[in-house]
Amino acid sequence: MFRRRTLFAAFAAAAFGLQGLSPASAQDLVNASLRLKWLTQAQFAGFYVALEKGYYKEEGINLTINPGGPNLLTENLVATGADTFGLSGGTDSVFAARDKGLPIVCIGVAHQVTPFVFVSHKDGAVQSVADFKGKTATTWFTGANHVLSAMLSKAGTSPSDVDIQPQQVSVTPFVDKQVDIVTATRYNELYVINERVGKDNLNLFVPEDSGVSFPRDTLIVSEQTAAEKPELVTKFLRASVKGWQEAFANEAEAIDIIMKISPTLNRAQQEFMLKEVKTLMTAGKASTDGLFSIDKDAVGSANNLLAEYGVISKPVDLDAAFNAGFIESIPAEERRL
Amino acid sequence: MSGTATLAANLPVVSTGRLGAVLRPVLWLLLALAVVEAVVVVFGIRSYYLPRPSVIASTIMATPGAYLAGLWRTFLETVLGFLAGSIFGVVMAVLFHRWQTLRELFFPLFVVSQTIPVIAFGAVVVLWFGNTLFAKAVISFYISFLPVTVNTMLGFSAVDPRQVQLMRSFGAADAQILRRLYLPAALPQLFVALKLASSLALVGAIVGEWFGDTTGLGVLLLQAMYNENVAGIWATIVVSACLGMGLYGAVSYAERRIVFWGGEQ
Repeated sequence: MFRRRTLFAAFAAAAFGLQGLSPASAQDLVNASLRLKWLTQAQFAGFYVALEKGYYKEEGINLTINPGGPNLLTENLVATGADTFGLSGGTDSVFAARDKGLPIVCIGVAHQVTPFVFVSHKDGAVQSVADFKGKTATTWFTGANHVLSAMLSKAGTSPSDVDIQPQQVSVTPFVDKQVDIVTATRYNELYVINERVGKDNLNLFVPEDSGVSFPRDTLIVSEQTAAEKPELVTKFLRASVKGWQEAFANEAEAIDIIMKISPTLNRAQQEFMLKEVKTLMTAGKASTDGLFSIDKDAVGSANNLLAEYGVISKPVDLDAAFNAGFIESIPAEERRL
Repeated sequence: MSGTATLAANLPVVSTGRLGAVLRPVLWLLLALAVVEAVVVVFGIRSYYLPRPSVIASTIMATPGAYLAGLWRTFLETVLGFLAGSIFGVVMAVLFHRWQTLRELFFPLFVVSQTIPVIAFGAVVVLWFGNTLFAKAVISFYISFLPVTVNTMLGFSAVDPRQVQLMRSFGAADAQILRRLYLPAALPQLFVALKLASSLALVGAIVGEWFGDTTGLGVLLLQAMYNENVAGIWATIVVSACLGMGLYGAVSYAERRIVFWGGEQ
């Protein structure tokens, strides 16, 4: 009996000890958490670099980074206060949340331009957006489908003339030519497609070329945090910007930090991801105003797009949903690479 | 394959002794793996449909630490959830058996609770408990207690009422009847449920890890899935299967030791 009890005690200690590991050091640090939109990967390198290098601690924040996952809505977790900060889906999810009355505010936009493209085989029938007519396309029904619809409308094709299907995890149906057009984020699916089909055998259709923009990867806080702890928000942003600058300045080290947390990731893929994320994060307004700038024009065009397709009941009040005050309180020269 | 060589070397010994009993399944497994390997190579099956077993093995060996850490974490979540679910399941069965009203009031709720998809429930658990090991154990618990309750109640109902009356006539208290008659009588049924619950608890833990975490087999599975790392998916499946077999084996071993009379009723 005694042995069984010690075994159980050791077991319980092991189980709960793991949680006790979170640093309980300096008491003047403010506890906060950042909920990501997905699992640990180079897409979020800057936050992990800032954490590893102690930039958050320097600003007086004891930050915990919580990875996301499927079926987890960052907006919900931030609105309920389960997490302080969130890197959420994008302008689409911010609008949807505001439309439903969730009290969240966007304080910075990471990907300044649409992070995904539509891809077709170079040796196939689809050579331009007008060629989509009568073909099969797969896309995500979380906003990308509306980008596709808008691109088609602008090319004079009715979206109903294209067989648009929900896209599953794998791009294999596209590689095997079972579908003609696939949606790919520049930093993830495109890598797999490049590897398997060859970069030179692909046509890329960029939403911006059709005049559609859909900025994604948005930093959010609850309205309460924004109102009651504005200095915490600014400090978090300052440390995050510093982390991203460091990640882009020293990419190999940033990948080391990510690989240490998730050793099963493919290093080459993560390096590709970081390069692509850098392009997305320094495009558009960020090239002049610095990281996490909020481009009201691009955001506004996404707003109108979603309202037009009835995803949100009416255009959202941009100034209430996007508060550029926090990020703009950090001088642009400190935010540029 | 080296497996074939060992097979040949061991053939004369296999049929006799305890060593043979242990080795035989291992050899069969090695043989089966060799066959799969050969089939994949001979028929030229593309690696993203089915990677060769040797590729899966080398995927695990490339980062053994990550798989071990994942295994340990998922094991802890599963065992915590399983133990809590089993204890809760038995206690509820006893209460339901003892107080009929309680059963009429709450048993339907138990059944309803199991019709809520874990995926829907998981998001709520994260809101309530955050990204802790405890949150995953709660999901494990949630999907493992019902079979235990149902089977234990089934075991109780199989007890001959005359045996109960006999014990009563000798002045046995309710607690004594429960401990000396009902619980032992329900043990064979209970262990059927525990074996089921051990697998369910593992599924619960893995699904629980899909709600945001850094370590665990569920995380490895998700990461491999979304990066189209097919060898990684299979590697995680193999490790999860080993964990599942280990848990099932542990419960079976306990069953053989505790229910020594077997399921003879």
